[in-house]
Amino acid sequence: MSDPYQVLGVSPSATDEEVKAAYHKLAKKYHPDNYANSPLADLASEKMKEINESYDTIVNQRKQQAQQGPFTGNPYQGSYYGYAGTQSQSSSGFSDVRSYIRGGRLADAEQILDGVPAENRNAEWYFLKGTVLYNRGQLEQASNYIGHACQMDPGNGEYRAAMSQINGQYRGYYGGYNPSVQNNRSDMDQACNCCGNLVCADACCECFGGNLIPCIGCR
Amino acid sequence: MHLFGYIRPQKPELRVREYEAYRAVYCSICRVLGRHYGIFSRLILSYDSTFYALLLLALQKKYVPCFAGGRCAANPLKKCMYCTNAQPSLKQAAALSILLSVQKLQDDRRDRGRWPRCRAFFLLPFLHGAHKKAAADFPWMEQAVCTCMRQQAEAEAEPDSTLDDCAQPTAEMLSAILAHEGGTDTEPLYLRVLQETGFYLGRWVYLMDAADDVEKDAADGDFNWFVRHYQVTKDSSPEKLTEVHTFANAAMNLTMSRLCAAFNLLDLNSFASVLRNIIELGLPNMQKQLLFKKETK
Repeated sequence: MSDPYQVLGVSPSATDEEVKAAYHKLAKKYHPDNYANSPLADLASEKMKEINESYDTIVNQRKQQAQQGPFTGNPYQGSYYGYAGTQSQSSSGFSDVRSYIRGGRLADAEQILDGVPAENRNAEWYFLKGTVLYNRGQLEQASNYIGHACQMDPGNGEYRAAMSQINGQYRGYYGGYNPSVQNNRSDMDQACNCCGNLVCADACCECFGGNLIPCIGCR
Repeated sequence: MHLFGYIRPQKPELRVREYEAYRAVYCSICRVLGRHYGIFSRLILSYDSTFYALLLLALQKKYVPCFAGGRCAANPLKKCMYCTNAQPSLKQAAALSILLSVQKLQDDRRDRGRWPRCRAFFLLPFLHGAHKKAAADFPWMEQAVCTCMRQQAEAEAEPDSTLDDCAQPTAEMLSAILAHEGGTDTEPLYLRVLQETGFYLGRWVYLMDAADDVEKDAADGDFNWFVRHYQVTKDSSPEKLTEVHTFANAAMNLTMSRLCAAFNLLDLNSFASVLRNIIELGLPNMQKQLLFKKETK
C-alpha cells in the first residue's frame, strides 16, 4: 500500500486536525453521490477505499504512538462504502435491464428497453431509459425521462431520489455556477465602492463649501 | 462547437508562480506555432490549446517543467518566459488549435454572418500550409476533428434533434482526442477516466459556445439549438434571453457535475493546481461572465 500521508496529501508532521480536514475534503470529493450512475463509480469507490484505509492507518498509528488522542476513529466508516449496495430492492419487471446497467452493459440494456412496446412502458421503463442515457452522457434527455418517471409514479422514492440528484446538479451544487449564490468577491466590490462613493461625495460637497467627511487636520 | 477561448483559468485565484507557469506554456505554444506551422498560424493562438498542452504535460508521470526567459515574438519589448522541455506536447497542442481553427473558419465561410465570412476568406489561404502540415503530423487528430464536423452537420440538418444530439459530436471528438493519451502503456481504467473527462469537457464547450452565440445566431439566421427551441428572434425581449441563458446554465451545471467527477479521478502531476483552477473555477466563471453579466454591461 502507498504512503497513507501521500494519499491524503498532507505531510507526516501535519496535526491531527489537518489530517482530519484533508480526509474530509477528499471524502467529499469522491463521495458516492458525485458518482451516482457514472460509469466511473467503481474507480471512485476504489479511491474512496484507499482514502478510508489511509486515514484509518494514520489514526491507528498515532493512537499507538500517543495512547490517547483526540481522534475518534473514522467517522465515515461503513456509511461511505455505499457504492455497491445503493440499488433499491423494489419489485422490478426489468431486473435483467438493471443488472446490465450495473454491469456497465448499456447497449444490451437499451436493446431490451427499446424492444418494449409503447403501451407497456411504465414509470420504471422511463426511469431505466433515463438511467441508461445518463450513464452515456445524454444528460438532457436523461433528465426528461427520469422526470417523466416521477410524474407517472410520484410515490416512488428511487425515481424521486434520482430526480432530486439531477436537480441539485442543475443548480450547480456539484460544480458549475449558481447565479443565486452571491459570492464574496462581488460583495467586497460593493464594500469598496461604498468607500469610493463616500470620498466622491465628500469631494463634491467640498467644491460647494460643504464637508461630508471632516478632515482631522483642518479642525 | 469550437474551442474558442472558453477554457481558461480564473486569474485572481491563481498563485503568481502558477500564473507565470501558465503564461510560459501559452507563450511557448505561440513560439511552437511560429516555428512549425509558419508565422501566420500565430494568429490563432488560444487559451484552449494551452489547457490541452497543460493536461498533456500533467499526465506525464515524471515530467518536471523547466523555464527560461526570452522575448515575446509579437512584441520584442515585452519579456516572457518559455517552457524549454515540452516540445512534443506543445507541438501536439499547437496542431490541435490549427486543425480546430481551420475547421471553424471553413464553417464560418458557409455561415451567413458577414464579418466571420470575410475573416474566413482572408485567413484561410494563409493557414492552408499549416493545416496540411498539422494533419500530416497528427492524422488521428485530423480524423477526430473531421468526424466531429460531419456528425455536427448531420445533427444540425435533423429538424427535431435534441440538445444532446447536437452536443454529442463535440463531446465525442474531445473524448477521442484525450483517449489518445491513454493508449500505450497505461491501464484501461485510466483510459475510461480520460474519455469521460474529454466527453463532458467537449459537451460543456459546445453548450457554452451555443449559449454565448444565441443573439448573434438569431440575428444572422444561423443554426443554434437554443434559438430553434426557444424561437429566439433578433427582436426577442431580454426576459426571453434570460430564460434561455438560465436554461443553458442549468444544462452546463449538470455537465459540470459529471466533468468534475471524472476530472477528480485523473492522476495529474505537474500543473495539477492550474488545471484544477481551470476546471473548478475558470469554467464556472465563464458561465457567470457570459450568461449573467453580459446584459448589465
